[in-house]
Amino acid sequence: MKHHYALLAAALAIAPLAPAEVPGNIAIKDAHIVTVSGADLPKATIVLRNGLIEDVGTNVTIPPGTWVIDGTGLTVYPGFIDALSTWGIPGAIPAPAGRAAGAAAQSPPAQTPAPAQALTQAQQQNPIEAENAGRPNVHGPEDRPQTYSFERAADLITPTDNRLEAARAAGFTSAATFPNRGIVEGLGAVIDLSGERGRDMVVAQPVGQQILFRVGGGGMGRAFPASLMGNIAYIRQLYLDLDQYKRAKETYASNPSGNRRPEYDHDLEGLAESPRILLPADQAQQIDRMISFGQELKVPYVLYGLHEAFKRVDQIKQANVPALISLKWPVAPRDADPTDIPNYRDLVIREQAPAVAGMFAKAGVKFAFYSDGVDTAPELKRAVKKAMDAGLSRADAVRALTLNAAEIYGVADRMGSLDKGKIANVVVTKGDAFDDRTTVEYVFVDGAMYQPSKELQQGPPAGGAPGGRRGTTPGNDSEGGRN
Amino acid sequence: MRRILSICTLLAALGGLSGAETILIRNATVLTVTKGTVENGSVLIENGKIAAIGKNVSAPADATIVDATGKYLMPGIIDCHSHTAIEGGVNEGTLSDSSMVNIKDVINPYDINIYRALAGGLTISNVLHGSANAIGGQTIVIKLRWGKTAPEMIMEGAKPGIKFALGENPKRAGEPQGFFTQGAAAERRYPGTRMGVEEVIRESFTEAKNYQAEWKDYNDRVVRGEHPIPPRKDLRLEPLVEVLEGKRYVHAHCYRSDEILMLIRVADEMGFKIRTFQHVLEGYKVAREIKEHGAGASTFSDWWAYKIEAYDATPYNAAIMTRKGVVVSVNSDSDELQRHLNLEAAKTMRYGGMTPTEALAMVTINPAKQLGIDDKVGSIEVGKSADLALFDQDPLSNYSKCLKVWIDGHEYFDRDKDLETRPKFQQEKKQLLDKENAQQGQRTGRPAGANTAATPKEEGR
Amino acid sequence: MRTSWLALLLAPAAAGLLIAADNSVLVRNVDVHPVTGPEIHNGAVLVIDGKIAEVGARVAPRAGARVVDGHGLQLYPGMINAATNVGLEEIESIRDTIDLDEIGTFNPELRAEIAFNPSSEHIEVTRAAGITTVIALPGSGGRGGRGGAASPVITGQGALMHLEGWTWEDMAVKPSAVMDMLFPEIQGGGGRGGFAALLGGPTRTYAEEEKLYKQKLDQISQFFNEAREYKAAKAAAGPGFKRDIRLEAMIPVIDGQLPLFVRAERERMIKDAIEFADKEKVKIIIADPREMGSTGPMLKAHNIPVVLGKTFQLPMRDDDPYDAPYTLPNEFYKAGVKFCFGTFDVEFARNVPFEAAQAVAFGLPKDAALKGLTINSAEILGVGNELGSIEKGKMGDFILTDGDPLEAKTNIKQMFIGGREVSLESRHTREYEKWMKRP
Repeated sequence: MKHHYALLAAALAIAPLAPAEVPGNIAIKDAHIVTVSGADLPKATIVLRNGLIEDVGTNVTIPPGTWVIDGTGLTVYPGFIDALSTWGIPGAIPAPAGRAAGAAAQSPPAQTPAPAQALTQAQQQNPIEAENAGRPNVHGPEDRPQTYSFERAADLITPTDNRLEAARAAGFTSAATFPNRGIVEGLGAVIDLSGERGRDMVVAQPVGQQILFRVGGGGMGRAFPASLMGNIAYIRQLYLDLDQYKRAKETYASNPSGNRRPEYDHDLEGLAESPRILLPADQAQQIDRMISFGQELKVPYVLYGLHEAFKRVDQIKQANVPALISLKWPVAPRDADPTDIPNYRDLVIREQAPAVAGMFAKAGVKFAFYSDGVDTAPELKRAVKKAMDAGLSRADAVRALTLNAAEIYGVADRMGSLDKGKIANVVVTKGDAFDDRTTVEYVFVDGAMYQPSKELQQGPPAGGAPGGRRGTTPGNDSEGGRN
Repeated sequence: MRRILSICTLLAALGGLSGAETILIRNATVLTVTKGTVENGSVLIENGKIAAIGKNVSAPADATIVDATGKYLMPGIIDCHSHTAIEGGVNEGTLSDSSMVNIKDVINPYDINIYRALAGGLTISNVLHGSANAIGGQTIVIKLRWGKTAPEMIMEGAKPGIKFALGENPKRAGEPQGFFTQGAAAERRYPGTRMGVEEVIRESFTEAKNYQAEWKDYNDRVVRGEHPIPPRKDLRLEPLVEVLEGKRYVHAHCYRSDEILMLIRVADEMGFKIRTFQHVLEGYKVAREIKEHGAGASTFSDWWAYKIEAYDATPYNAAIMTRKGVVVSVNSDSDELQRHLNLEAAKTMRYGGMTPTEALAMVTINPAKQLGIDDKVGSIEVGKSADLALFDQDPLSNYSKCLKVWIDGHEYFDRDKDLETRPKFQQEKKQLLDKENAQQGQRTGRPAGANTAATPKEEGR
Repeated sequence: MRTSWLALLLAPAAAGLLIAADNSVLVRNVDVHPVTGPEIHNGAVLVIDGKIAEVGARVAPRAGARVVDGHGLQLYPGMINAATNVGLEEIESIRDTIDLDEIGTFNPELRAEIAFNPSSEHIEVTRAAGITTVIALPGSGGRGGRGGAASPVITGQGALMHLEGWTWEDMAVKPSAVMDMLFPEIQGGGGRGGFAALLGGPTRTYAEEEKLYKQKLDQISQFFNEAREYKAAKAAAGPGFKRDIRLEAMIPVIDGQLPLFVRAERERMIKDAIEFADKEKVKIIIADPREMGSTGPMLKAHNIPVVLGKTFQLPMRDDDPYDAPYTLPNEFYKAGVKFCFGTFDVEFARNVPFEAAQAVAFGLPKDAALKGLTINSAEILGVGNELGSIEKGKMGDFILTDGDPLEAKTNIKQMFIGGREVSLESRHTREYEKWMKRP
């Protein structure tokens, strides 16, 4: 165990780790413990051992040889979970939810496609198309150039992603992380944000397929699909193919004699393996569209984005679909033409997007948050606080970041709350979570202890402005500046 | 927050959130289109349908009375060729045959162009895929029920279609130095000639027939008690089978007479029907063949010379085809033009001497016939849907403007209400802006271009 | 294929000349709409040698003047489209048929007149709608694409052309009527983290864009200074003076003789253009504005006229009133700004009367609309004494109609340009005649 810490200390020089003599067992005593699954314990003790929660409660016996932290004045939460992430896969940059949802504004007007560039780009994404160029590609969809359903996040994870440290400094210990290629992006994994090797970090996999709509060039270009409707048809065909694949395999299995055996299909196996799909839905009409699409596909689905969901709370509730809210709140772009007045609709979305979480909580929609490219500690904190300022209770915010996310991905049996036997993913704060002056004192990931530096918690100055925390209302000065 | 929602609701209220009222529109010049003109006439709307028309129509006591003295009531305008309210690309132009894509999947009910079109008396749009490929995507007829969701806009009982495209547009991506194939790395997409366009259509229908046979064979074997492996369900071929079975209309973008004739012959060979020829600028040269095939022609009032295949166009096209017995409509293909199709229709009076009724028919009953919905809409007749537009003057006058629009008896546009709402809307918007600016400490600017909708979509040209 | 449409191109637009041999005519028994005066019911108009000699309720026939009975018809001045590319573009998608947007930033010496194709099919098609005169501009105004430092500023001299004649020389009413100018614009300015970034597009800040814009303005001022220096040098005629046709073409502009036809869509551009004109002491016309904003009083105070573009446009922004483009002409009218109509294209040049009528539907007085197609157009283009109304001494340009020429349902029955009757046939009517006969 000691050895383990030492290695990490070497790897992560900026994050000062626990003293070298930290023993295997840790207890935080007399702290305010927010279990999330049960009642808040104003004065209780939690014991971590062998990467698991050994015990938690008001009447806990601390085993001998335990390293005890005096929890007076500290609050203990389950580690936070980024519910849709690329953390752990360096270089993967999440696409904005609006784009992912295929917003019309993203496509240049039909009359003015950007020809050459779009074509070249499309070809790069689509070698199969390029090979077929010059012939009628009337078979398009079954080529499936944009399908990476077989790619596994679990195989791509590496602890060297330098975003992990900042994430931990904001109290995040875990993420549902997904590959970031094509339209069907591959099999996601729930990971812990610490480990010597990638494989150490994987908690559960596969947990889903993220669908991203790739729309560009006004629907022109070389690679099918290039339009939103093409993306939808593409996915619809994949799931029809999956149906047929399953039926064909079953039929063959019961009657191999006299039938040709169905061909093994790499793409469909990946699809079949996925317990759920994540569908992009930011604006109201996209939410409508994806609810009906998810229902049509007859697979468990989750919506992500949801900045205009304040118009569709009832429908989401009625559809009984889990929702992942992007923490990258829409804001006015910086340095733009002062005479350009934004749309009313955009203004309303900017004003109300942070209120969506609170509305979901009241309506009983199951929701979690995701970082969506927000990856410094102060920005993450401010982003959550913004939802709280717009009506989300602290308890619901914490729940969204912990147990809800775990439940959505089916891993609530091992993480998401402070219960005996669960993974020792714990965050210890001085002050209430997400408050302006609150600091993260300790983070335990799989039992490994981190003490995030003040510097990290204040973060690099956003958008180049001097000073981390400027004493303005949190959440109002710089989100979205990092793009 | 509630305050802001309230203005949304207020705007949506213009979008017919009030119940299906009983309405009596009184003392209007009623342009029924199919049954003549009733001077000082009244139209009674009950349960979303036209219940009575005449000079003396009595209304129930609870009816809302609309005094239309001096005004003109016409059927809601129908646009047989639109690309409005499509989200995320009008074309899936990557393939020669993209029949697997469906406009129905991507209707954006928040597209402001819906409201703008309503304000010009438009009530129904045939929303089409673009013309980038020989066989484009599946199409859908919508009613402009502004304020409703996309599924609620889909017109009940209107047969869906599929877009075909002939001539320059589908071969453009295949041209050696075409519009879409500039740049060293650009690859040509088949086809690059009209011959190739024909081949794509024939090839696809040949495949569709094989596919049809494959499924028939499978179903036969199942009936015989065998356990065959089911064929793959192919979203590209399914709609073509529907075309063969008469369950889906073909709307074919075309310009030159040779390609129009070509498609008729291919359809004859393959055993399907073309429902409408779209644009069809040289339709006047093969009006006889179009009529014999039983297709309609949906054309522009006066577009021409924007490309070589549009150089032999004449604004007399609609009149010639009408005189030769073809059912002709005048369409928009444009978010801008769809705002005044009545004025586009009026041009057929100058170019070819259409009567006022014939002119109005070009944007009402004729497109309704072409879309197979003339039993429901397209004229002011008892029993039809109360899709109506009220104009301050004869809608064929260039000085006229639309005042009110009803769809299914719901009011979806009212010019007075629109005017009333404007200051309040601006005030709400200003408050939002002020609030945002105050929160940001300083004004940081706005995106340019992101919010403008200035470029009309005239994709299909 | 090639030969067939070449042959069509060569069909002379001037075929109409064959109908009337001379240019003296008396039209009588007609309702005369002089535009500058009250309607004369059952009046008459006499044209002698191409000029209007008499207008009145009763006009005596004159020897040598053909007599036309206008019973039941209306007589209006021939309409003017004050902004087109007619004659310089045949088929929009075929570059070989287009002579617009010459290479270079400052091209004041270019003359649209000399590239005006007298055989363009658009000439007959346009005049069939009652339009006798157009401005032919050498620039597309950005239809052909703009952006970057190399974007054109001065595209050349726009010509006022009659839509009748054997050669461009015959057709030119005023060879150099306007100096076509694309006023620079603060580009993009999408800002960081906004839309542009999402698209992977340019992410220059507004401040950066503004700086580029100011540089461009400086570049323009410098060019105007060069022209002034050149003019002084020319006047001094000192030793070593060399003629420079480019700078020489600017002399009428800096002298305030030739108006700059400044295309400025947005309020800010209009303001900047006015400021620019003040500074450079040049005469300008604002062309193709999409909004008026607060510029009305400024335009009025500076006596700057406006050539409006299409009324049939979409509003610029989602939140704009749906009828914003329809009400724009009336905004200028109410502000007391002098304006007329253009279409800034070729294909729909003939529809300029309908653009005006649409403004009437949304508040513009009818007579202001008609003036914006006739007398105001003529005055703005510096030919108020020659065109634009039915008055003694003006050119005999008029149309006979069976109704209001701003109405699509009206038929234009006859047209006279300079007193000569001009055919209203066109490629379009010929196709009609031909194909109606197909069995």
